[in-house]
Amino acid sequence: MHTKKIKKYIKKIREILFFNSLNNFLTILLIFTIFLLSLQSFSWFIFNSKWSVVTTNIPLFAFGTFPESQRWRPITWIISLLLISVLSIIPPKWKWLRKNLLIAWIGMIPLGIFLLYGGLGLQSVMSRNFGGLTLTILLTICSSIFALPIGIGLAFCRQSSLFVVKKLSSIYIDSMRAVPLIAVLFFGQLLIPLFLPLGLEIDRVWRAIFAFTLFVSAYIAEDIRGGLQAIPNTQIESAKSLGLNQLQIIRFILIPQSLQIALPALTNQAIGLFQNTSLMSILGLVELLGIGRSILANPKFIGQYIEVYIWLASVYWIICTILALMAKYLEKRLKIA
Amino acid sequence: MNTIIKVKNISKSYSRGLLALDNVSLKVNQGKVLVIMGPSGSGKSTLIRTFNGLETFDAGEIDILGIKINSNYDERRIQKIRKRVGMVFQQFNLFPHLSILDNITLAPLNVQKRTRIDAEEFGMYLLNQMGISMHAGKYPSQLSGGEQQRVAIARALALKPELLLFDEPTSALDPERINEVLDVMRKLAQDGMTMVVVTHEINFAKDVSDQILFMDSGKVIETSTPDIFFSNAKHERSRKFLNQLDK
Repeated sequence: MHTKKIKKYIKKIREILFFNSLNNFLTILLIFTIFLLSLQSFSWFIFNSKWSVVTTNIPLFAFGTFPESQRWRPITWIISLLLISVLSIIPPKWKWLRKNLLIAWIGMIPLGIFLLYGGLGLQSVMSRNFGGLTLTILLTICSSIFALPIGIGLAFCRQSSLFVVKKLSSIYIDSMRAVPLIAVLFFGQLLIPLFLPLGLEIDRVWRAIFAFTLFVSAYIAEDIRGGLQAIPNTQIESAKSLGLNQLQIIRFILIPQSLQIALPALTNQAIGLFQNTSLMSILGLVELLGIGRSILANPKFIGQYIEVYIWLASVYWIICTILALMAKYLEKRLKIA
Repeated sequence: MNTIIKVKNISKSYSRGLLALDNVSLKVNQGKVLVIMGPSGSGKSTLIRTFNGLETFDAGEIDILGIKINSNYDERRIQKIRKRVGMVFQQFNLFPHLSILDNITLAPLNVQKRTRIDAEEFGMYLLNQMGISMHAGKYPSQLSGGEQQRVAIARALALKPELLLFDEPTSALDPERINEVLDVMRKLAQDGMTMVVVTHEINFAKDVSDQILFMDSGKVIETSTPDIFFSNAKHERSRKFLNQLDK
């Protein structure tokens, strides 16, 4: 039985890779090249790579220049974020906790601000000391939590029967989608300070979050609109016949169902947003990629960019994979519903 | 005897000048069952959907439970009607993202502002009546069509309505599942619920209805008691329809 399977497999490989002489030649050439390349990278990995650039700088990659004595603060925040993500995906038994998960998610923003910036008894830390993974997560979480309700609002406005509301939201969504993200980020970093009155200043980190929110909410609005259009009209009719009013229909029927339908697209947005925060490294924020670049600028580690970028790529890859797996699990669980 | 529904000369036309309802009048008293029959496209569904404002009309007047509506769409009055009138649809239209019990308690909790304990208790009572209390925690997609339709009936009953509207409640069901729904409806009629039922189920109409309304192309062709309608229909058109159904 087993040998039969293997034989079948070999036959298939033969049919695909070795069916005439030109094909034989190409296959062998390719195998040879792959072999050479892997030998090269393997020998680099074993003999030439110096991972001390990563290992000695782990705190920098994680927290940036956050004061050493205060590092428990970002750690606490990230752990509570992890905890609440797990709770959202594997619902807890206690009903009160399940019902208050949304509030807990929104509460993550003030908690993060308090823990990172300090004040109220905690030593205050300037935002220029934020960096590394902490800053990347701060940018991602805050932007997505702000952008989701705005996106939902925009999607409903675009469906509205009021002409002005409909047109304004359409114009906003379409123009945001017509502009590259980097332009919006430049606008946030360079132009907003010019528009603000003298003396009033918004933190660089918040300007970035503001720009990301503006941009992402337009895309989220389109994803939600797709979800809304997929809900059959009969759902609205049966809700109406039960005496629910317009707002209740939106809240209990349309929002939950459209979110459920749009979940795969929204996951894409979240992963995209997470990766796009790396653009801030060219605008002077030392988030994960930025901190990598500044470490490379240190004469001690000069020329070790392969190690640093391999490390950064794996960190991004791991986090994005975790996000995708979480979303997949959530989708599966919602599918019964 | 209280009159629950009084429809006076309502008409509705579509943009192409097609008449969906042509001068329809009818009356339903409390505790009575009206069955509406007719070929597809005859306006039965349109008519029953005007009773709770899912469909507008161009002329005439409808009086439901003493609340009058006319061709001017009055959201507030229609809302009042919907709180006292339940509706069951052909495709069940349960909310797929809510559990069975949550489907039933949604309106009592948010429209009638009852307490959760109260609403869930009554919801479980209704599910028990329908013989499906074991499914309370499941989701609609996990239930068979007949079970889903019984949930839909329980959902409509959760607001303690004074009138129930059924729009072809068994047309989307497998033949062997039809009776479990019809039995529930028979029981409701016996308990004195006022009902309007659009259906093709002849036996149900014969046994349960007090009055049969036969429609064709938007017009009421005849209104009779089931005895007369099924043995000796007055109109040629009704007899032809019944012959077709028998085949």
